[in-house]
Amino acid sequence: MKRVLITDDAAFMRLSLKTMLERNGFEIVGEAENGAIAIEKYKLLKPDIVTLDITMPVMDGLEALKQIKAFDKSVKVVMISAMGQEKIVRESVISGALGFIIKPFNEETIVKAFNKL
Amino acid sequence: MSEDGISREPMLEVYLFEATQLMEQLEEISIECEKNKKIGTEAINEIFRVMHTIKSSSAMMMFNNITVLAHSLEDLFYFIRENKAVTIDFENLFDLVLSGIDFIKGEVSKIENDGEADGSSETLMLKSSSLLQNMKEANGAVIKNESIQQKEDTQFYISSYENSSKEVKQKYLARIFYEDGCEMENVRAFTVVHNLKDIVSEMYHIPEDIIESNDSVEAIRKNGFLIGFSTSLAKEKVEEELNGIIFLRELELLQVEEYPPEIKALKVKKEIVLEEPTEQEETNKEEVEHITKSGKQQSIISVNISKLDMLLDLVGEIVISEAMVTKNPDLEGLQLDNFNKASRQLRKLTNELQDIVMSIRMVPISMTFHKMNRIVRDMSKKLNKEVELEIIGEETEVDKNIIDHISDPLMHLVRNSLDHGLEEKEERIACGKPEMGKITLEAKNAGSDVFIIVRDDGRGLDRRRIYEKAKLQGLVTKPEEELTDKEIFSYILLPGFSTNESVTEYSGRGVGMDVVKKNIDSIGGTISIESVTGKGSKISIKIPLTLAIIDGLEVAVGISKYTIPITTIRESFKPKENEVIADAEGNEMIMIRGEAYPIYRLHRIFNISTKVTSSNEGIMVMVEDNTKAACLFIDSLIGEQQVVVKALPNYIKKAKGIAGCTILGDGNISLILDVSGILDR
Repeated sequence: MKRVLITDDAAFMRLSLKTMLERNGFEIVGEAENGAIAIEKYKLLKPDIVTLDITMPVMDGLEALKQIKAFDKSVKVVMISAMGQEKIVRESVISGALGFIIKPFNEETIVKAFNKL
Repeated sequence: MSEDGISREPMLEVYLFEATQLMEQLEEISIECEKNKKIGTEAINEIFRVMHTIKSSSAMMMFNNITVLAHSLEDLFYFIRENKAVTIDFENLFDLVLSGIDFIKGEVSKIENDGEADGSSETLMLKSSSLLQNMKEANGAVIKNESIQQKEDTQFYISSYENSSKEVKQKYLARIFYEDGCEMENVRAFTVVHNLKDIVSEMYHIPEDIIESNDSVEAIRKNGFLIGFSTSLAKEKVEEELNGIIFLRELELLQVEEYPPEIKALKVKKEIVLEEPTEQEETNKEEVEHITKSGKQQSIISVNISKLDMLLDLVGEIVISEAMVTKNPDLEGLQLDNFNKASRQLRKLTNELQDIVMSIRMVPISMTFHKMNRIVRDMSKKLNKEVELEIIGEETEVDKNIIDHISDPLMHLVRNSLDHGLEEKEERIACGKPEMGKITLEAKNAGSDVFIIVRDDGRGLDRRRIYEKAKLQGLVTKPEEELTDKEIFSYILLPGFSTNESVTEYSGRGVGMDVVKKNIDSIGGTISIESVTGKGSKISIKIPLTLAIIDGLEVAVGISKYTIPITTIRESFKPKENEVIADAEGNEMIMIRGEAYPIYRLHRIFNISTKVTSSNEGIMVMVEDNTKAACLFIDSLIGEQQVVVKALPNYIKKAKGIAGCTILGDGNISLILDVSGILDR
C-alpha cells in the first residue's frame, strides 16, 4: 500500500483527502498543518507520496516542496491548489512537483490522479 | 452534535467546528484592525487564508452561498495583499467583513440545527465587488503586472545541444486530452512541456501560450494539447512517459516524418530559453516567526463534550465505589495493615484521576470574554459612545458547563452597561470623566469559587428610583432607610422589573436581569450588585467550581446523616449550656470571642427526632457563606469524607437548605447541606 503524508492547514481538507484516499487503498501515515511540519514529518515517516496545500501559515506549499525535494529528489509530491494560483502551480512544477489537484475535488478525481503515482 | 445522540457524519462535524473557529479568529482580527485603523501584512495574510479555507471547504461540502461569499472576500484581500500601497476604507471594509462573518455564522448555525443553509449572500457580494472596484479605480496605475516578467518566457523549446547529438532522432506528434473537470489544463500542458524538455531536442505546441493566458484552457479542452517534438528515445519509452500524465483522458501518439503545417509554422519563430524558476517573493518570511492560532493548536485535540461528561460521571462512581470497598462494614474492627496501605494508595490514585478529569473540563474564559468585543464594537457604533473594553484575568479557567451558561448573561450585562450605564460623550465631559467610557470584565479564582465581574464607569444605579419602582410593583417589605444598597439594587433582578422609561433595541423590556439571575442560579452561582452614583456600577457573579466532588464533614442528627461542605466550615466545638442565649423573640445565639452568632438547630429545621436536644450534649459547627456566619447544632461529628454530589432526584421538590445528596461508603444516604440556604432563613 502506498504511504501518504497529507499537508493542509484546514482539518476539514485533511479529513476529506484522508477519507477518499483510505477508501481507495492508500495508507495515510501522517498529517501536517503547515509546510514546516510537513518537512519534519517527511523526514520521520518517509512516505511514498506527499500532498501539499499551497496556502498555509508558517511555511507554504511551494517552499515546503523545494525543501523536501532538496532533501530527497525522488519523493512524489502532489500540490493541492485552488483556481487562480496558476503562477504558483507552474513554479511548483518547475520545482519538481509531480502533479496537482484543484480544489474542490471529489473522490473520482482523487482516484484518477493518485492511481497514476 | 445533535442533541438526540445521533452523531453527524464526521466530515460535516469537522467542517462546522472549523468554520466556527475560523469565524471567531477572523472576527477578532477584524475588530482589532478596525480599531487601530491599521492592517499589517500578517493580518492580511491571515484574513486571506481564512477566506481561502472557508471557500475551499464550503465548496467541497457544496454550501454554495458561503463559497461564493468567501471567494469574493478572498479576492478582495488578494487585491489588498498584492497592492500594498492601496488606501483602505477601514470602516466599509470591516463592516463588510463582519457582516460576512455574521452571514456565515448564521448559515453554519442553520446547518448545526439540521436546517438548510439557504441564506442569500448576494447583497454582501455586491458590496464586496463594488468595494473592490472602488479600490481598483483609486489604485489605477499602481496595479502590478506580474506577467511582465514572463513575457520573455518560452513558448517553444529548442535544445542547446541540438546539433551536437549524434543519436538518431525521430519526430513525434502527440495530442493530449485531459479528464473533464480537472481544471488548469494550461498549467497541465505546461507540466508536460516541462517534463519533456530534458528528453527532446526540439518541441513546438499548440496552443502556444500556456503560461500567460488562460484562454488556452478552452482550446485544450476542445482540441486537446498538440505537441510536435523530436527525440532519440524509443517510442515505447515516449508512450510510457506520456501515459504517466495525471488526468490524462486520451493520448494520440504518432511517429511522423514531417510536422503538420500548423506546427511547422511555429518552427519558424525564434528560440527562447525556458524560464528559470523565479525567486518567490518574501511574503512568507514574516510568517515564519508568527505562529498563528491554528499553528498553536497542533498539540490539542477536540473531544466531544458528552464523552467528558461520561468520564466525569464514571470518576464520581469510582470515588463512591472506592469508599464502599475501603470503608466496608465487613472490615470493621479487623487488623488490616497491608490492606490499609493498599487502600491508601488506591485513594491517592483516585484523587489524581479526579483532579485530572476535572481539569480537562476546565477551559479558560478568554473566548467568552473576547466575544464581548464584537458586542462592544457594534453597540458603541450604534449608540455613538466611545467605549473601551478592558479584560482582566482571561486565563482563569472554569468548567465548560459554566462557560455555556455564562455567555448570555455576560452579554446582557455588557449591553446594559453600554446602553444605560455609560453616559453620552457630552455628559461625561460635563462630569469631568474621560470621553471614552470603560467597561471592565474580570475573572478571578477565590477558593473553590470563580468570580466574574462586570464593571463600568458610568452613571451608576439610582437607589431611589429603583426603590420607588419596586414599591409600585409591590415588591418592598421594609422602608427604604432600612434596606442596604445591595438589597435595593438586587430588586432589579426580579422578574418584570425595569426603571427605563423607554425600551431601546438593546434593553429595557425588563426581561433581562431576571433571566440573567436564572442562568446564574442554574449553575449554582450568585449575583451581587454594587454601585456609586455618578461613578459606576459593579456586578459580581460568584460561581462555585464543579460541584461534582467535594470535601465534606459528615455529621449525625438523629439517625440521619448530613454532609457539610468543608469550605463553609470555620470551626466546630462543644458548647456549654450557659453560652447559649436567646433574644426577645426566642432566637438563639451564642457568643464566641465577643461576637454573637445565630444558632440553627438542624433537628428543628429538618424536623428530626433525636435524643440530643440540650446544647451541652451536641456539637456546634460554625459555618459561613459570603455574607453571614452562624452555628449549626448537630448531634455528633462522624468524620471527614470526600463525597460525590448527586443532584436531588426530580421527584423531590427543591428543599431549602439541601444542595444535593450522596451515598456514603457504608451504603447510607447523606444529604448535603446548602449553607447559604440555611442561613437565609
